[in-house]
Amino acid sequence: MTRLVVDPLTRVEGHGRVELLLKEGGLHEVKVRLLESPRLFESLVVGRRYDEVPDLVCRICAICSAAHKLTALQALENLMAIRVPPLAATLRELLLLGGHLQSHALHLFCLILPDLCDTPDLLVLLQRKDPLAEAGIKLKAFGNRLQEVVGGRVVHPVNPVFGGVSYFPCRQDIETLLKELLHWQTCWPDLCTQFLQLGNYPEARPVIGNALATGLQESFALNGESLFYGKEQLISSSGYKELLGERAREDSHAKDSNGQSGPFLTGALARARLAADRKLRFDTPAEAFGIHGNNLAQASEIGWTLQRLGQLLEILLEADPAEPLRKTLKQVNGGVGTAATEAPRGLLIHHYVVDEWGKVVAADIVTPTAINQRVMAAQIMADLADEKDHERLCKGAERIVRAYDPCISCAVHLVRVEHSS
Amino acid sequence: MKLKPPITLAWTRFTSCSGCQLMLLNCESSLAELAQVVALREFPLATSTECKDEEIDVGLVEGSITTPSELERLLALRRKVNLLVAVGACALTGGVNSLVRGERRQAMTEVYAGQADEWNTFPPQGIEHFVKVDGQIPGCPPEQGELLNSIGALLHGGWPGHQVMPVCMECRINENPCLLERDCAPCLGPITLAGCNARCPSLGVPCEGCRGVVAEANRDELRRLFITAGLTEQDIRHRLERFGEAP
Ligand code: SF4
Ligand code: SF4
Repeated sequence: MTRLVVDPLTRVEGHGRVELLLKEGGLHEVKVRLLESPRLFESLVVGRRYDEVPDLVCRICAICSAAHKLTALQALENLMAIRVPPLAATLRELLLLGGHLQSHALHLFCLILPDLCDTPDLLVLLQRKDPLAEAGIKLKAFGNRLQEVVGGRVVHPVNPVFGGVSYFPCRQDIETLLKELLHWQTCWPDLCTQFLQLGNYPEARPVIGNALATGLQESFALNGESLFYGKEQLISSSGYKELLGERAREDSHAKDSNGQSGPFLTGALARARLAADRKLRFDTPAEAFGIHGNNLAQASEIGWTLQRLGQLLEILLEADPAEPLRKTLKQVNGGVGTAATEAPRGLLIHHYVVDEWGKVVAADIVTPTAINQRVMAAQIMADLADEKDHERLCKGAERIVRAYDPCISCAVHLVRVEHSS
Repeated sequence: MKLKPPITLAWTRFTSCSGCQLMLLNCESSLAELAQVVALREFPLATSTECKDEEIDVGLVEGSITTPSELERLLALRRKVNLLVAVGACALTGGVNSLVRGERRQAMTEVYAGQADEWNTFPPQGIEHFVKVDGQIPGCPPEQGELLNSIGALLHGGWPGHQVMPVCMECRINENPCLLERDCAPCLGPITLAGCNARCPSLGVPCEGCRGVVAEANRDELRRLFITAGLTEQDIRHRLERFGEAP
């Protein structure tokens, strides 16, 4: 029995490791481990006031901070039966989409592009003045600027608050953003071609996992009150525990605690499969790409996002800044609240229990990477079943994990070893 | 000590959200210029080569220390860097990571069920509890300008002057209306270290104190104002301890 270890996994967010066990020269078992130090967010919010929670949980992860803050707010607002004013909802969607743009651009250009160019990292490409790398970095910067204008800060945005948002961005900033957006809308079709070519990716088997996303309506599923999976099956978000079988239990291992319909796949590829308006329209069928189709899906989603951002910025230009931005609570109500959002990497669920005095009694956070972790090992097993060369095995496993765009900082809420043999 | 460019720099990450690092990576327009004067030997978000050098000019540290192996890495780092700089609230005071109250093992069990024993951890702490720290860049996350200025100052053998005034003063300079007075909002501006140009209050959002407490802060006066604004003692304690102010 030979054991190959890829540690640390390079060009993923956070610290993770893959272990490959070989028997008689062939792949026998795969383990994917996420090794971040635990930060215990679900426990540190307990006993705190409900309106403190969003400010704390956004610190789970910098790249996904907007998604975490917005999902926490949504869950707490559901809990207290508050609907944010329409203008606030528009601003929040803009913020979330700015996050998507930034995160997808980071993944495609900083983490995936080096694979396609066979270089160790993006810095090498930038030193070479590679035009694609340079453009990608600028696109990422645009996503950041959006977040800064709408959120007040690139990382850990301060504008979204319980009941709505605090301020309306200045008109001049909105106009500048819109101008820059037009530039990106024009050049994106050319910029993305690298990521759409089948020849750029390793050979792959069909994707494992049932696609799962929030009920995708015309807006960016910010009000994700329902979950959508498989062939048009809808359930209320509050039923996520049964669906996912999330909790780690002393008496059972991850395999047994999988929900009935799982394992699930979440992220851009799952969204592309489920949402009609996000369907991939390319010459090569997306299936041929296997899990690497997630890169394709992200690239096509950037195109979709750039269009949607245009609509939202137009709404802002026509809006009356004096419109209400925030609802205030007359009286604190205790209860249970759940919200699901499409974070850049997929389905993100926040769930809180609050007592009558507004103090948090329990919290549960399910991240996209924690959901995908179950299929990663199985996908490596399937894709690399016939591979014998050790170096190619390690490299191949790494590229498969990278294709999921895992966010390990986020996922350490639920650390466990995933086996597949 | 004046360093000769390009100086070698290692960015080391411990328990954190990667936000401090992301702020530097987000200085897109300055990255090329930076690359000319700084040789980046370690920077986990962009590349995961771990630095093998025996001596490094500057070590920038992000994140708090929570496990024995992190502590070992920190000590090893201290031995090989000439200057060690703590970046961000996590490295300075433990940051939001340190808010877990009570029995840590119990919290671990709550979140990770049967797998708690796999982790050998202790309460998150700032790096100054373990090693000598030569410079600090506060914030959660730090301001981009401050990150670049600090690196620039190191290149010239110095360190940027420390702010001594509270965020409140920056609000006055910007002629912002006072949120404490106008909205009875729990703004920590009066006791928080300035340097962000009153980022949040300028947008109408109360300061959450992410840059830490200013020297000679008038805590009693703030407490009185908060009580008048309708906060309970517990609310005040929670608000103050978020960024390292012991209750
Ligand atoms: S100080 Fe704040 S931004 Fe920096 S790593 Fe810690 S939580 Fe993230
Ligand atoms: S105003 Fe306060 S919370 Fe906002 S950035 Fe400055 S110190 Fe941090």
